Amino acid sequence: MQVAIASGKGGVGKSSVAASLIYLLKDEYSLIAVDADADAPNLDLLFGVEMWEEEKELIGAKVARINTKTCIKCGICAERCPYDCIKLTNGNYVVNELTCEGCGVCRLVCPVEGVITLEEVRSGIIRKTTTKYGFPLISAQLDVGRPNSGKLVTEEKEWAKRIMKEKGIEHMIIDSAAGIGCQVIASLGGADVAILVAEPTPASLSDVKRVYKVVQHFREPAYLIINKADLNPGFKGLYEFAEAENIPIIGEIPYDRAIPRSMTMLKPVVEAFPDSKASKALKEIAEIIKGEILR
Amino acid sequence: MQIAVSGGKGGTGKSTVAVNLAIALREYFDLALADLDVEAPNDHILLRVELQNEEPVHMFMPRFDYSKCTKCRKCAEVCEENAIITMKDGTPFLMPTLCSGCRACEIVCPVTGAILEGEKLMGHTYLTETPYGFPLVTGKLLEGEERAMPIVTAAKRRAKTLNKELLLVDTAAGTSNTVSKALEDSKLLIAVTEPTPLGLHDLTLILELAKLMGIEAWVVVNRADIGEKQRVKEIVERYNAEIVGEIPYSEAIIRSYVKGEPIVLTDSKEAGIFRNLAKKIANYLG
Repeated sequence: MQVAIASGKGGVGKSSVAASLIYLLKDEYSLIAVDADADAPNLDLLFGVEMWEEEKELIGAKVARINTKTCIKCGICAERCPYDCIKLTNGNYVVNELTCEGCGVCRLVCPVEGVITLEEVRSGIIRKTTTKYGFPLISAQLDVGRPNSGKLVTEEKEWAKRIMKEKGIEHMIIDSAAGIGCQVIASLGGADVAILVAEPTPASLSDVKRVYKVVQHFREPAYLIINKADLNPGFKGLYEFAEAENIPIIGEIPYDRAIPRSMTMLKPVVEAFPDSKASKALKEIAEIIKGEILR
Repeated sequence: MQIAVSGGKGGTGKSTVAVNLAIALREYFDLALADLDVEAPNDHILLRVELQNEEPVHMFMPRFDYSKCTKCRKCAEVCEENAIITMKDGTPFLMPTLCSGCRACEIVCPVTGAILEGEKLMGHTYLTETPYGFPLVTGKLLEGEERAMPIVTAAKRRAKTLNKELLLVDTAAGTSNTVSKALEDSKLLIAVTEPTPLGLHDLTLILELAKLMGIEAWVVVNRADIGEKQRVKEIVERYNAEIVGEIPYSEAIIRSYVKGEPIVLTDSKEAGIFRNLAKKIANYLG
């Protein structure tokens, strides 16, 4: 089974919740964890990973380059670039490689053959390890300024599937990126279940509604976990949203400073502070997941 | 003139800093705030305003006139996203979600009128007046669409047309090319971080991006009293950056965040941190 954990927004505690749930499920279930936030991966940090067993470079991003020696400086490329990536700098037209999407339009419109080339560059790295808890983890890191991190996530999931087949692992738990863009779509695509994590703030509500629309697009059943649940007692928005959309709320985790403290210790909170109030709530959630989702 | 607020991962307090800084900076500049976190735009929520003046962001999408198409396959060959597939006989089909709207297919098509102008809605930009005397430009990606870049580009263009003395940009999390697009043309980057292992990891990446883009970087340490501040200092020194503000872990900030009342407008000590930072920025920008 493929379970994706998403939130639409950063900072609501998605990765802390994911790390703790994975920790609580690991003994009863065979599972593999996938960190699909290639922009800011952190499951490896939360599981105290120190070494990677295997790494793969992902080549695939393309960027345009202009040969300034043969360029006739007509400026058509800059005019036609859909993303305003080409600028006249010190008398030369230069592609900003950090914003180029690699579409190749500049090369097509350039009147002089061979001036503009599309070159393949590394977009990031995918890596695998076995955590000290015994289950494998796949993670990725997008290189600074590179596009197409959705492809990176798809590659990660493919790798995870191969390992599942080889080792007879049953479940894949994906910690998806913040937002609703390509990384998140790649994380949710093909998942059997989405677990949404939100906090009781208007910002988080707005974002979780947006990611839920993506979940609906894939027709996946969704569950909701409310983190920092006591942060904003008068706020009913998450409950109203869950009721209106018929999304079961499978747990409420109180705000607990044990969570940031456990993060600096590089451990899931349920391991570092098993008796904290957040850990107790997480254990109840894990039981519900065992009973109703993973079965 | 443009400056940007960014920081590695989500949840470090980028939007809180951006919104409070914008309010503090209005004493010095005629400014606009641009929320370029188009996947999860929240500045309007923190400022408690309803988004106004919606403008759609459409992207070009090819439509094929099969009566004119010669099935030469050039459109499919040129498509870097593999969004156009061809049948055995060469008949092209578009997979809309993969299309990036770049028009490469249209450019190479040898037959006039075989590729027609189609479009799809990618999201919206908004121009909202705030009660704080500055406008907010917001980009918002449509749910289900994968590409943030067209929305970031459109929102940035709209913000620039306001021609304000200062444009303050709030970026998405991470260091992908949409963040670079948001940062582009900034004179100064305010990187928000927290002294945790996760924060340190992401701070390194954003400072690396600032270095690659040649943007001066200042660092604001949020929740400065949890974790290892010494490590933040080491990274900041390595990148020749500077720590310009420290925000303690604060119940008052959490409360103001939850209520949508900017902390800088209160007379708390936290408000002073943002006012000092604004002053420092004003001095630097001259």
